Amino acid sequence: MDGSILESIGVEIIGVMSPVSICMLLVVLLVYSLSSFSSSSVEPIRTAANLVYLEAPSDSTSQKIEGSLLNALVFVILIAAVTFLLVLLYYYNFTNFLKNYMRFSAFFVLGVMGGSIFISIIRQFSIPIDAITCLILLFNFTVVGVLSIFAEGIPIPIVLRQVYMVLLGIIVAAWFTNLPEWTTWTLLVALALYDLVAVLAPGGPLKILVELASSRDDELPALVYEARPTVSRNPRGSSLGLLVGGVSSDSVELQVEMTPNRNNATDSRNGDTIEMVDSRDETEETSPLVPNLRDRMRSSSSASSEFSAAMGGTDRIRQTEIVEDEEDMSPLAAILGMANEREPQLRSREIGEEATRGIKLGLGDFVFYSVLVGRAAMYDLMTVYACYLAIISGLGCTLILLSVCRHALPALPISIALGIMFYFLTRVLMEPFVVGISTNLMMF
Amino acid sequence: MTLAAGIGYVLLALGTSLALFVTIISTKPFLILTLLSSTLVWLISLIVLSGVWRVFLPFKTTAWWPYSILILTSIAFQEGLRLVLWRGYKKLEGILDAFADRVAKPRLYLTDKMQIALAGGLGHGVAHAVFFCLSLLSPSFGPATFYVDKCSYAPFFLISVISLAFVTIHTFSMVIAFNGYAKGNKSDQLIVPVIHLIAGTLSLVNLASGGCVVGIPLLYVVALLTLAYCGKMVWRTLTEAQIRLAYQDQ
Repeated sequence: MDGSILESIGVEIIGVMSPVSICMLLVVLLVYSLSSFSSSSVEPIRTAANLVYLEAPSDSTSQKIEGSLLNALVFVILIAAVTFLLVLLYYYNFTNFLKNYMRFSAFFVLGVMGGSIFISIIRQFSIPIDAITCLILLFNFTVVGVLSIFAEGIPIPIVLRQVYMVLLGIIVAAWFTNLPEWTTWTLLVALALYDLVAVLAPGGPLKILVELASSRDDELPALVYEARPTVSRNPRGSSLGLLVGGVSSDSVELQVEMTPNRNNATDSRNGDTIEMVDSRDETEETSPLVPNLRDRMRSSSSASSEFSAAMGGTDRIRQTEIVEDEEDMSPLAAILGMANEREPQLRSREIGEEATRGIKLGLGDFVFYSVLVGRAAMYDLMTVYACYLAIISGLGCTLILLSVCRHALPALPISIALGIMFYFLTRVLMEPFVVGISTNLMMF
Repeated sequence: MTLAAGIGYVLLALGTSLALFVTIISTKPFLILTLLSSTLVWLISLIVLSGVWRVFLPFKTTAWWPYSILILTSIAFQEGLRLVLWRGYKKLEGILDAFADRVAKPRLYLTDKMQIALAGGLGHGVAHAVFFCLSLLSPSFGPATFYVDKCSYAPFFLISVISLAFVTIHTFSMVIAFNGYAKGNKSDQLIVPVIHLIAGTLSLVNLASGGCVVGIPLLYVVALLTLAYCGKMVWRTLTEAQIRLAYQDQ
């Protein structure tokens, strides 16, 4: 008997939501376990987000508001400047420089920032480990991370890559949660607005970057999380897959998220990415082998381009460096359909049985969602859960919009807006209500 | 009372939901999405309720009637919301069936529909457990314990026990309700708000000093009744469907 449709609908959405959830959960755990440690540090570190105003608990409210607004403004200006620089470099084809710079940034984040978090954990839990072992382990961890994210030509399991992406997001988010409270909230709002402008407005740097990358049929110089679920086809489908996969292994260089069928439609390949037959956001099952092969190819390839849909996240993760303005990591936008990975040779072997469609989410989105939830964690568990639900529903709305709009969308604004709204509603309205009732042992 | 006790209390409230999640819901992505959306709806209903009642809180008196009005209005609102959820679910079912026809797969099975209802109910239950119970359990991870005056027989953290009963009630009453609406069965439709009301008023008993000794076991009786009713109803529905299928095949 055929399986029900319930088994496969929504796989792609869950494929994006689970790493986001895991990232948020781990950041919350980190914040909780390290909170006693960080409160003991008296001197607030001056970072790029704190350049103008160092918040102290004794300042008046209006001073705090002004100061944090200034901070947020300066931060956004810095990020915009760096993104424009990146666009310029990309335009003039300094791709080697960009790639090496990204490798260096990843190395730095994993090694130095991750290292300091590890040291705090060791200190907090009194783990008996000596310095040399720690150094060796950290070095190994960092090198494997850089390799798995940026290696070309080395076959690395996708799971490892995804794990390291999530770890990068966790480390940067954990650092951002060290910022003082007002600055964090204004920063989040400012970044959500900046993201909206940068991806959608005609002169926005991310939009330019995405168009440049797609016009060159090249991959974005960015750190992007790809969710690539493997759709297990019914047995009839996979036999066709094998058949087509054998044929297709030559015509692969610019193939994207491929379904096996796509390679049959090489003539209409470019057309497929643009032509959209349906606008659903559910997964596409292949219909049985016998009827109408042409229809199937078109619908599944349109589905694959739907699902290789992606969003422009914010671009740069600002590394909170102590003295200088360290140059950032790569932009974190992503692109619909036209994105290519430079590992086609490897994947032609594996596409035989699998459809590699997936949604891409920029790493900056991971970071700022986790920053919001981490900051909510510093207040109470109720706010954490409320903000988590708000962010996930915002992400779901963005994904639905994506399947309707079909071009790169900013993933931050809706989620951050909902998250902040739910945080303040929960903190002000819901908490006295619920705590008042349940401490009297009453519930409904 | 240390990490072990804290985790113990959390698992007490959420253990069965976790088991249900891992076995039934995590295998089908759509059910996870249903769970998340129903949790969100419950959260929104709580926020609306607290927005309405915020002006009157905190209650200055310790009389029981303001609390009972609070609980009655909250339960009425949430049951109304269940009807709204049912409408939304009908639309969703239509979309899913149309999609199934388009890809030439069978339409939603009866068990599928029940699983969606279960996921919805579990979403409500998990939301209840997190907001009414988990957020108050943070002190239990520390080195001491806490007692409430009115119920000095057990540490305060045994609200997780009350939460477990409510989680069960929420989860399975959604299954009963959706089945009742689908069949148009009046008794099924009516018994769900009644159960919810009884459970809510039973928790009012806890206001009295020493009332929790009576209130909590009675609450568990209600929870077990819900379970039994749901089980009987599901059994009946499935055997009817089987008989009908066998009849059609002849």
